[in-house]
Amino acid sequence: MRRQLLQGRETMTGRQKQDYHLFQHDLDKAIQEMGKEKILGYLKQMLLIRNFEIRAEAAYLQGSVGGFFHSYMGQEAVQTAALAAMGVDQWWITSYRCHALALLLGATPNELMAELYGKAAGNAKGRGGSMHFFTEEMLGGYGIVGGQIPIATGAAFAIDYFKKFPPKRAQNKDVAICFFGDGAVPQGAFHESLNLASLWNLPCIYVIENNEWGMGTRVDRAVCVEPIAERKAPGYAMEGYTFDGMDFFNCYAGFSHVYEKVKETSEPVLVEVLTDRFKGHSVSDPGLYRSKEDLSKCMERDPLAIMLKILSSYGMLDEESYKAMDKEQKEIAVAAMKFAEETPWPDPIELEEGVMAP
Amino acid sequence: MATQTIEIREAIRQAIDEEMERDQNVCILGEEVAEYNGAYKVTKGMLDKWGADRVIDTPISELGFAGLAVGAAMCGVRPIVEFMSFNFSFVGCDQIISHAIKMHYMSGGRFCVPIVFRGPNGAAAQVSSQHSHCVEALYGNLPGLIILAPSNSYDAKGLLKSAIRNNNPVLFLENELSYGKKSEIPTEEYLVPIGEARIVKEGRHVTLVSHSRMVDLCEEVAHDLANKGIEVELIDLRSIRPLDIRTIAESVRKTHLCCLVEEGHIFSGICAEVGFQIQERCFDFLDAPIERVCQRETPMPYSKVLEKETMPTKERILNSIETLLR
Repeated sequence: MRRQLLQGRETMTGRQKQDYHLFQHDLDKAIQEMGKEKILGYLKQMLLIRNFEIRAEAAYLQGSVGGFFHSYMGQEAVQTAALAAMGVDQWWITSYRCHALALLLGATPNELMAELYGKAAGNAKGRGGSMHFFTEEMLGGYGIVGGQIPIATGAAFAIDYFKKFPPKRAQNKDVAICFFGDGAVPQGAFHESLNLASLWNLPCIYVIENNEWGMGTRVDRAVCVEPIAERKAPGYAMEGYTFDGMDFFNCYAGFSHVYEKVKETSEPVLVEVLTDRFKGHSVSDPGLYRSKEDLSKCMERDPLAIMLKILSSYGMLDEESYKAMDKEQKEIAVAAMKFAEETPWPDPIELEEGVMAP
Repeated sequence: MATQTIEIREAIRQAIDEEMERDQNVCILGEEVAEYNGAYKVTKGMLDKWGADRVIDTPISELGFAGLAVGAAMCGVRPIVEFMSFNFSFVGCDQIISHAIKMHYMSGGRFCVPIVFRGPNGAAAQVSSQHSHCVEALYGNLPGLIILAPSNSYDAKGLLKSAIRNNNPVLFLENELSYGKKSEIPTEEYLVPIGEARIVKEGRHVTLVSHSRMVDLCEEVAHDLANKGIEVELIDLRSIRPLDIRTIAESVRKTHLCCLVEEGHIFSGICAEVGFQIQERCFDFLDAPIERVCQRETPMPYSKVLEKETMPTKERILNSIETLLR
């Protein structure tokens, strides 16, 4: 599939590179399990993410948003499916590419857009910005590549700890889910975390969102093996999986499978999701290292287009109602921009508040 | 009031033990803390008492377990992390610097990180360059962090208990050479508040400020000078961040002379900060430039002759005070 794009540019030898074994799912079963209403709800979430990223990026280009801006465009199916499979009430954590996860966990487009604009009503009161979104279940977006991996391991540790020492306020979380890019795999934090999680049987699902690029460095110039999860996991006595990140249903079935597995065994797993970002690493990255042909080829596998095609074939959706859904989500994103524009700036008098926790 | 005479090591152990009794969310993890009973025996007997779920041996994986503790703390656990030496915290310091201390502010107050990183700091006996660095100046530059450095059993116990109950990341700096130092402390429970310096000895001629093991050296100096009729006011910082500049400034306004002593390096050191803050508050009261006695600008050498030479000594402190009084 997508990997064919790399032909003629191979840097890996046969020793390093082996075949992927994509998780096999039963589409009929997945569709039946979720039902039309839920599935359309997930599509709506994906459309919200897409539209939010498009408007937010426009706001960035207008100068209303500063700092860095990492778009989740192209990867929508991955986290939407993970949430669909595991539910909100887990510990969730991701990298700086964090807008989608916050939206999926219930942060409003208004509060997130206001955060991007640096406003007081923002998700983190205008202190975090694009890379640091949080919700009650979301331990954050993180700006240090791989920095969130030990933290997710600690969240899984907490789940395990509170099973042994139940807190006054009962907690029902089963797993910690940690998203990071292929670029985080070479970090020491990856190795140390997986070793600890496996050693102590911590219920953590580590998800490598392999979008093929760590900024401008292609994955085969940064990670010495392919596939990543399938080959790294055995070294930690873990199971490793590969999902098709452009196919919501494959991700849904895959995440459902590993979720049941981790609940049952309380052992960590490593997942690699093959996906693609349609944009540069950040807004300031024009992506000159990718050919137009390469990019347009990968956009043929737009997760939204794939989902529309599947749902049409099941008679659940037609082009027209899809467009209506898209328009509705676009309006939400546009309204969020208006809210962010109009809502007040933080009061500088509060600058030094909250450095220390009470 | 009933008292006990105990080593700093035992004072720290009691603090951890009492807080684990008080709150089941408190646990301790680090290299060799459980089965080995602690590299410096601080956690002796704890595994037997509390079990392996709360006294947790980690692999040599400082970044991994420091970060694990940050994540656990965000989710409601209150971990104490022992670094076998604070020099090893550098391997994991990304989790302290970029994650733990920024979390509360960066998340708009949504998550706090109640965690104590503790262990021996600074020089021991000839452990050479990579095991002897004083870390407080490096970490002192970071808002969001509390840094404590007790010099005796009373403060060690009371401050550590306060640290464990605090909702912020705390660096609790101990000293290998001081673990065996004994003093008399109450048997019943007490706390020492964070952010208050202690006047070890009152005096009217010169203010001497230090922290951690160097306080012992300063006490000897103060004693020697007392025999010559010079009254030193000795202040133990106890808490480096937040810094109790008020107590220091009050003393300097009284004595008009000040000498600062620090085991760590002079450039960008704790003394540089304290000295500057004194200058800001007491400029018109100072009769002479502030003196600093710190480690000289070398990595810690192995040879005991050289090691002694690079560290603050009684002689160097006496010389500095002599300069002030001249």
